[in-house]
Amino acid sequence: MTQAIAVHNATKSYGDKTVLRGVDFSVEAGTVTVILGPSGSGKSTLLRAINHLEKLDEGFVSLNGELIGVRVKGDRLKELRPREILRQRAKIGFVFQNFNLFPHLTILENVSEAPISHGIKPAEARKTAAALLARVGLSDKEASYPRQLSGGQQQRVAIARALALDPDVILFDEPTSALDPELVGEVLAVIRTLAGSGKTLIVVTHEIGFAREVADRVVFMDEGAIVEEGVPEQVLNHPAHSRTQDFLSKVLA
Amino acid sequence: MTALAQRPTDSPPSDSVPPGIDAHRLAERRVLPLRHPLRWVITALVLVLLLNFAQTLFTNPSWEWEKVGKWFFSPPILKGLQLTIVATAISAVVSFFGGIVVAVARLSGNPVLSTLSSFYIWLFRSVPLLLVLVFLFNLGNLYPEIGVGIPFGPQFTVNTVATLTPLALGVIGLSLSEIAYSAEVVRSGLLAVDQGQHEAADALGIPKRRQFTRIVLPQALRSIVPAYVNQIIGLIKASSLLYYVSLLDLFGIAQNLGSTYPTDVIPLLVVATIWYLILTSVIAVVQYYIERFYARGTVRVLPPTPLQRVRRALSSRRATAGVA
Amino acid sequence: MTIITPKRLQTLGALAAAAALVAGLAACSSSTEAAPADTGTVTVAAFSNGAGTETKIKVSAVEEIRKTLPKKVLDSGKLTIGIGALPAGFPPLAFTGDDNETLTGAEPDLGRLVAGVFGLKPEVKNATWDNLFVGIDTGATDVGFSNITDTEKRKEKYDFASYRGDNLAFQVKDSNKWEFDNNFENLNGLNVAVGSGTNQEKILLEWKTKLEAEGKTLTVTYFPDNNATTLALNSGKIDAYFGPNPGIAYGNKLSAGSANPTRTAGIFSGAGETLEGLIAATVKKDSGLAQPIADAINYLIENGQYGQWLDAWGLKNEAVTKSLVNPPGLPLDNN
Repeated sequence: MTQAIAVHNATKSYGDKTVLRGVDFSVEAGTVTVILGPSGSGKSTLLRAINHLEKLDEGFVSLNGELIGVRVKGDRLKELRPREILRQRAKIGFVFQNFNLFPHLTILENVSEAPISHGIKPAEARKTAAALLARVGLSDKEASYPRQLSGGQQQRVAIARALALDPDVILFDEPTSALDPELVGEVLAVIRTLAGSGKTLIVVTHEIGFAREVADRVVFMDEGAIVEEGVPEQVLNHPAHSRTQDFLSKVLA
Repeated sequence: MTALAQRPTDSPPSDSVPPGIDAHRLAERRVLPLRHPLRWVITALVLVLLLNFAQTLFTNPSWEWEKVGKWFFSPPILKGLQLTIVATAISAVVSFFGGIVVAVARLSGNPVLSTLSSFYIWLFRSVPLLLVLVFLFNLGNLYPEIGVGIPFGPQFTVNTVATLTPLALGVIGLSLSEIAYSAEVVRSGLLAVDQGQHEAADALGIPKRRQFTRIVLPQALRSIVPAYVNQIIGLIKASSLLYYVSLLDLFGIAQNLGSTYPTDVIPLLVVATIWYLILTSVIAVVQYYIERFYARGTVRVLPPTPLQRVRRALSSRRATAGVA
Repeated sequence: MTIITPKRLQTLGALAAAAALVAGLAACSSSTEAAPADTGTVTVAAFSNGAGTETKIKVSAVEEIRKTLPKKVLDSGKLTIGIGALPAGFPPLAFTGDDNETLTGAEPDLGRLVAGVFGLKPEVKNATWDNLFVGIDTGATDVGFSNITDTEKRKEKYDFASYRGDNLAFQVKDSNKWEFDNNFENLNGLNVAVGSGTNQEKILLEWKTKLEAEGKTLTVTYFPDNNATTLALNSGKIDAYFGPNPGIAYGNKLSAGSANPTRTAGIFSGAGETLEGLIAATVKKDSGLAQPIADAINYLIENGQYGQWLDAWGLKNEAVTKSLVNPPGLPLDNN
């Protein structure tokens, strides 16, 4: 298996507060990784650092052998121009906790916006967008605006939007946390269909059941560091570390 | 009702209901809404006052309505109206785009640009428009020539007094002042756009320029438009200061005519007032439709326009009439 | 500087287009004088709305005076005459005519006659009172003919050529029986409006001081323009208005038969009690225009056109016998 993503010594602090303490982490292509951890453990920051929404103080991220957001200059790393970073992000899809759909654009426009901005012909982009919407079961909503949809539907649109550029990797930042409980299932169902489709998925979530069923690998983070990682069966059923045990007992209670 | 009738008849525990009332009977009665007698009294008073005022409009000879009619469409008044509209329209457009440029500069990471635009906004919000116009008129004194060129290098210059006509001076003066205000309107609109929108656009790799024109600005316009229309209405009235650059707008013409025809001063002021009311009303209608356009997506169903409402009412009446 | 992207270029283009539009519209709005000077006739009191009697006055270029003009003015072929009648005019001296377009009045008309003597095309420019002087300062205006009083303070920046005396009057509502009777004591207890910074203001304030010394009162009130003064007089906010006689006579004439008729309740010489106040053509100091203008006015006085002009506007009481360059003006503190 080839490594799709490698994170080396990811270090980040906000003022006095250290959120990432030299995290080393890698993900193999085509797998599903679930990151668990209490709030404030740095899991979202790590996820956002992968597509350079957060800049690291030290360390770097590479995707398929290419550095993300930085380049080598002498014996240092130097930040890239915004334009180059934006181009790199086309290969990494991102799904937000709060969906962040564009409220003034229709569902179809939301999905076709990024491809059009990357130079795909509008007609073609719309065709692809319609196909993606069909894939998440929202063909009948193409002309609706985001606020006319339920939370679950909006998150499915956000997933279709993240897929529109055909990225190698899709990052999910607590995709079901803002949803009413009865809407969680439809979103997880869509993510499940992506698993095994060849895409590399990294999911930050509290859905232990989902992790157990879909994840190839589970990572548990606390206080800005990875505490333990492994296959779901090992981490979820036989956690080695007391902090993992604590967390799981609280979440599953 | 049946459900209530089938309830057990024993009273609820005595401590949960005030003593001495029939809980079952009261529970079945419709609750009486609170009356507002004072509201009716005030309404009546206001209506009486309004009617009184309306009556004076017709009975007080000072209004001299026949003179208002004589002046209303007279060529000089229409000429002043034209100047008001032209000066306001050009300044409004220039200020809008100028305001975007200054606002973006102020929000930019470039310290020189953001300091400069803050300084500009501070300066032109502090100096009264009247003084700006007087200074501009004095431009010939301060800078006999204006031009562009490389500092200490070759210059392309023209004579100030000859180049800048009164209208150009007036529009520049109005715009300089207006850009400072509209920049703040635009800036607050841009800041009101949710940070998540920027992140989502960033995450999708949408180029910065397109992020601004396609994602951020359209959402910002929703809050910019009402505030900016307010600015434009202020601008219409600010244009009455243009006589400082020897231009007579609607109000200036009314004043000027008033000096030639001293007995028509009040009718002329009434004419100006009515025209200002008309201008503001037209803008309000345009504003309604622009706001409606930018409101798409923010409410689940857009309310019908007044026109649609009238049409719907008419067709429903026709339908009822048909049935009858 | 940031990089100028194509989108920004478009914005700049839009701004440039707007600027061009401004320039284009502005080009349409510049005014030109209808009657050229070389016909040898100047029509005075045109479109005067009854303030004067329209009269054609023959005047032709006088070479001896013309050749003393500064070269710059001569080369331009026109005399730019400034009046300060914005936003409201002051008939019959300077105002917009009843064709609602022509700048008419005794003041610009004398300027037109002077231009005739010079053999130049007159161009009358209207501005606010302040901008009239700014216009003279910047050279946009050659000479101000705008009921400007010769004062020592103004002489620091301007040269004068006098042409008219300054008579003042009290205007009251027709129903008001008050009379001035050439005695300032009669002002006791009144509220009188006056133009700020004028000769008449100085006179009125002197009377106020004297009255107060006697334990009497006089309230002096100021308004931004003649329209506001008229409204205040009509509504009874003020008892009287103390101002230039010609303007008051005009107002009275037009108000006859209207809802608010007014009348003159006494005339007083603007000479005041100490020094004669003179109205003078005003040019930039050391511009070399004051002497030619005085010569031209003296020529008009000697050849009768000056008298015709006074008659046409009903200003005979304000006649002078000779135009002087920089005659003694009202003292410095008078402003």
